[in-house]
Amino acid sequence: MNQLLSKLVKLQFKESKNKYLLIIMVLVILTMTVLMPSQFLSGSNIQSMAGQFPEFGFLALAMMLAMITGGIDLSVVATANFTGVVAALILNKATTAGVAPTVSITGAIIAVIAVSIVCGLANGSLIAFIGVPPILATLGTQGLFLGLATVLTEGYSIGGFPLEFMTVGNGTIIGIPIPFILFVVGAFVVALLLNRTQQGFNMYMIGSNPTVSRYSGVNNSKVIMKTYVVTALLAGVASIIMISRANSMRPGYGSAYLLQAILVVVLGGADPDGGFGNIPGLLMAIVTLQVTQSGLNIMAFSPFFRKFMWGFALLLVMAINFIAQWYSDYKRVKKMRAQSASAAEVVS
Amino acid sequence: MKIKQLMRHSETYVLLIVILFSAFVTSVNPAFLTLENLFDLLRSSSGTAILAVGIFMVLLSGGVDVSSTTIAIVGQYISVNVLISTGIDNIFFAFAISIALGLSLGAINAVFVSLFKLPTLIVTLGTSSLYHGAMLEFVGTRAVNVGGLPQSIKDFGSLNVLEVARPDGSTFGLSVFFVILVAVLLLSWFILKYTMIGRGIYAIGGNLEAAKRAGFNTRRIQFFVYMYSGLLAGIMGVMHLSLIRYSNPNYLVGTELGVIAAVVLGGARISGGSGTLTGTMIGVALITILEKNLIMIGLSSYWQQFFVGLVLVMGVSITYLQAKLQKSGRQIIVKEEE
Amino acid sequence: MSDVFLEAKNISKTFVGVKALDNVDLTIGKGEIHCLIGENGSGKSTLIKIIGGVYRADSGTISIDGTELHGTQAIQSIRAGVQIIYQDLSLFPNLTVAENISVNQMLESNQQTVNWKSVRETARRALAEIGEDIDIDERVENLSVAKKQIIAISRALTQNAKLIIMDEATSAITSEEVKHLFSIIMQLKERGIAILFVSHKLSEVFEIAENITIIRDGKLVGVYPKEDLNEEKLTYIMTGRTLKFEPYRYDESLQAETPLLEVKNLSKKGQYRNINFKLQRGEILGVIGLIGSGRTEVVQSIFGLDASDSGSVYIDGTEVEIKNPRDGMRYGIAMLPEDRLTQGLFEAQSIGDNIVITVLKKFLKKAHLLDIRNKRQAEADWVEKLAIKTPTPDNPVNSLSGGNQQRVVLAKWLATDPKVFILDGPTIGIDIGSKHTIHEIIRDLARQGMGIIMISDEAQEILDNCNRVLVMANGQVVREIEDSTTISRDELLDVIAQRQVAGAEA
Repeated sequence: MNQLLSKLVKLQFKESKNKYLLIIMVLVILTMTVLMPSQFLSGSNIQSMAGQFPEFGFLALAMMLAMITGGIDLSVVATANFTGVVAALILNKATTAGVAPTVSITGAIIAVIAVSIVCGLANGSLIAFIGVPPILATLGTQGLFLGLATVLTEGYSIGGFPLEFMTVGNGTIIGIPIPFILFVVGAFVVALLLNRTQQGFNMYMIGSNPTVSRYSGVNNSKVIMKTYVVTALLAGVASIIMISRANSMRPGYGSAYLLQAILVVVLGGADPDGGFGNIPGLLMAIVTLQVTQSGLNIMAFSPFFRKFMWGFALLLVMAINFIAQWYSDYKRVKKMRAQSASAAEVVS
Repeated sequence: MKIKQLMRHSETYVLLIVILFSAFVTSVNPAFLTLENLFDLLRSSSGTAILAVGIFMVLLSGGVDVSSTTIAIVGQYISVNVLISTGIDNIFFAFAISIALGLSLGAINAVFVSLFKLPTLIVTLGTSSLYHGAMLEFVGTRAVNVGGLPQSIKDFGSLNVLEVARPDGSTFGLSVFFVILVAVLLLSWFILKYTMIGRGIYAIGGNLEAAKRAGFNTRRIQFFVYMYSGLLAGIMGVMHLSLIRYSNPNYLVGTELGVIAAVVLGGARISGGSGTLTGTMIGVALITILEKNLIMIGLSSYWQQFFVGLVLVMGVSITYLQAKLQKSGRQIIVKEEE
Repeated sequence: MSDVFLEAKNISKTFVGVKALDNVDLTIGKGEIHCLIGENGSGKSTLIKIIGGVYRADSGTISIDGTELHGTQAIQSIRAGVQIIYQDLSLFPNLTVAENISVNQMLESNQQTVNWKSVRETARRALAEIGEDIDIDERVENLSVAKKQIIAISRALTQNAKLIIMDEATSAITSEEVKHLFSIIMQLKERGIAILFVSHKLSEVFEIAENITIIRDGKLVGVYPKEDLNEEKLTYIMTGRTLKFEPYRYDESLQAETPLLEVKNLSKKGQYRNINFKLQRGEILGVIGLIGSGRTEVVQSIFGLDASDSGSVYIDGTEVEIKNPRDGMRYGIAMLPEDRLTQGLFEAQSIGDNIVITVLKKFLKKAHLLDIRNKRQAEADWVEKLAIKTPTPDNPVNSLSGGNQQRVVLAKWLATDPKVFILDGPTIGIDIGSKHTIHEIIRDLARQGMGIIMISDEAQEILDNCNRVLVMANGQVVREIEDSTTISRDELLDVIAQRQVAGAEA
């Protein structure tokens, strides 16, 4: 048991930034608890927090994968909009046509997967084969996907889903909201991908230096392509949760999530230049943000103040990151010179 | 020989596309290529063009600024509210407030970018959220419609520098907006070409380290570029207000990506250091024509975003594909021996 | 009126707990060509930056032309006539030649506006001063490294330079271009401009230097006039030992009917033509021919980085098609690249991850998941096998010295158990002691039956470690030396020089 615990702790703190994150997260939770114990810690609040963040969480997972490879995916929300609209249309049309819910829901899910893959392939091809910088490629596809969603809905919001579908977003299993369970599974799978697969390993390496990875025999194009397909799939999952919770979908839903996703990934310790990023850090960042948002909500801060806060938080976090990075580099270099100096003494 | 040189510049291709597309639209709807329509296009797009100049210059310096449109709306909304609450009905006053705000917010951007050396895309994402949230929270969210709008602003919007008569006696004209645009273009051109700060912008976009070593004051240059961009955004904000005669604090925010797309299509490199004002204007022309004139060929406005995205995707694909094909290995063999 | 232009005394500087310079002296006379020798990490970069005013020394004095320097004002050094040309040349790729040359002067004159006419005049004049003719309207990014260097020198001249410091100026230019550079340096000397030529390429240093300052590990080893030194003496001075070893002898018993690797008529437009050679097990085949001869391009094609246009490659007698590095690796080829920092190592990633990237597949259990324990065991094993000096494989690779970093790259490729191991410049930028160890490792591999191709700039290294040598020039193999013991170093240098000249004249 002790070994397992120490292994867990080691995994957590593989990145030095996670230490600071843990402290921040605990502080925030404590603050909220102290300020409004009865409301914050109530069962309904916890349940609502647990239900709110998964749709965002999947988007954050997607964004982190892109950033680990040294890129960025500005089209995640647009992809979610697009796949969501497609699913919504299928569900809507099928329900009015009297198709059985299981059929229509299955159909919708298959459609989401298919469309996501296409979107991911589009991004991947632009970035991996044509060589367009990710920021530009996803800027363009963002317009494409959102545009397609707009055209399909003509600006309206689509609703009218079968009741059974609502349970995906709003139901619970032993009191735990289903989206939360989905997210835990999703985060676990992504963690597995990053830490235990060749694809994950190569993603970190490409993010570190794509020239070196090519010289080392890595198939850069394949890895990048797969990355953006996975980000699109994650966005697709997010869209299912979204439309099920809101019981409708309109293009433009969740546009605020883009900034927040980037914020959370950076807060979670990923380097925007690529090569670093981990799940524990991301999860702590998401929890911190969700708790903060929830707390602000309870304290009846307006959504506009929240927007102000996100911006402020992002800038603050980056500034702190910058200083912390500088400081830890300083300490690490000092330590290592001392170590190799003593090692050299032993040898000579 | 000159044609060959022209062919090397991507601006030429974009211009060609603009011309072709205009020809196409005209063929479907001859009302496109009339003086009246042209003047109207100029009137409605001058503001965006001015914004694009600011974004272009930030891009030149090696940064990506997504907060320009937010600065514009903040400048607009606050200035119109100040005009209303103080009762001072003066267009210059409106511009003064908006410009002051633009300069300040731009300076804040510069602080984060130059002092903390943070990636500019993420910084400006953050500041954009910060500024907009702050404005909505502390100033308000109520839109100002044409009824509550100060007269000077309305008048400014219909001010023309040139009047042309229609057959039935009514007139249309070339808006003063265009004059402002031309003034901004001339000033920016002069700064970029003939001042050390302008050359400094190219320098830090080309090689930041070398710029520092050479003795450029990189901090001063970065402050200048972000403040200038903020200034232009401030100008655009008031112009936009005069144009649509409606101040909704949620407008404009979110449209920056389209402007960046225009600048990139105009040939500016996303990595910085390269691009021209001419190209930027051509890029804006392309996006404007796309956005405004899909209706003219019968496509509903819902297709707008899609087409802008499509054009951007195709444009960058061509650029980068071209670059990829050109990049062959070093030429080792200089002379072929028989 | 002293003859001394620059006098630096007792310079010390500490960074983050490491003493980069410890009581170093440097004296340069007016119009003198002085060379500063030191391997990477010796402190020479720090010394240059202190002279240039970019860093401030912790202790010691610097006087230039009689006046003492105070503080960290780069502008002070510049006004005193010191110009530094960094290894990366510090040019603006997106600006024109004219502007690049004039930019320092523009900044110095504190002007606010730009007079393009005078910018062009300044550039033209500076180029003419050294007798060069380059299109001043061309964008710098479109020019070759050698031309960029000329632009950097011209820029230095626009500010009344009295001392020009050139940091590793010859690392990326051809031998013809090096000759040209040296002729420019002589011109500058005649005009009374002193040159501080910083390098680790001994052969070049001997060609041009009048006096040589050697520093090692931040300490001054000594100052010597050129006549007092030769390569052996230098090696002794720099490592403290005389390294003697036997030239590599090929074990004929390893020779087989079919060669391990055979290359026939390999060609690639613009890079190399009609390359033919064989490689047997146990051979160390040297490839020499200064930068620009196409040697790196040939091996890159064999490895799969940039496929050839025509010709064939045979492994153990079977023809193979290699279109990318994965193919190359599949046929047992490994390549240690020329530039380990930009091509061979993920600087910020751990040593262990850097080693296993080439063989990650070995650690995949069922369901495509990595066996972390095996992976980490293998990492530790390789660190031990190659004696990489680190407390743990989890440390990032940039915490290692140059020699140790190269061992990581070696480990990474040895892990693939290659048949053919291509080494492109395996000892560049590595201190002499580590060089020797790496040579030993390479020889051991060959003795065990690996086929090795070694590319190098240094004739002595090639002759000592290779049993057969290919000389390349202008993209072709111009001479094959079957037995490296039959040729002396000077003869080899002649071959290289002659062929290069012959190629240029044709």
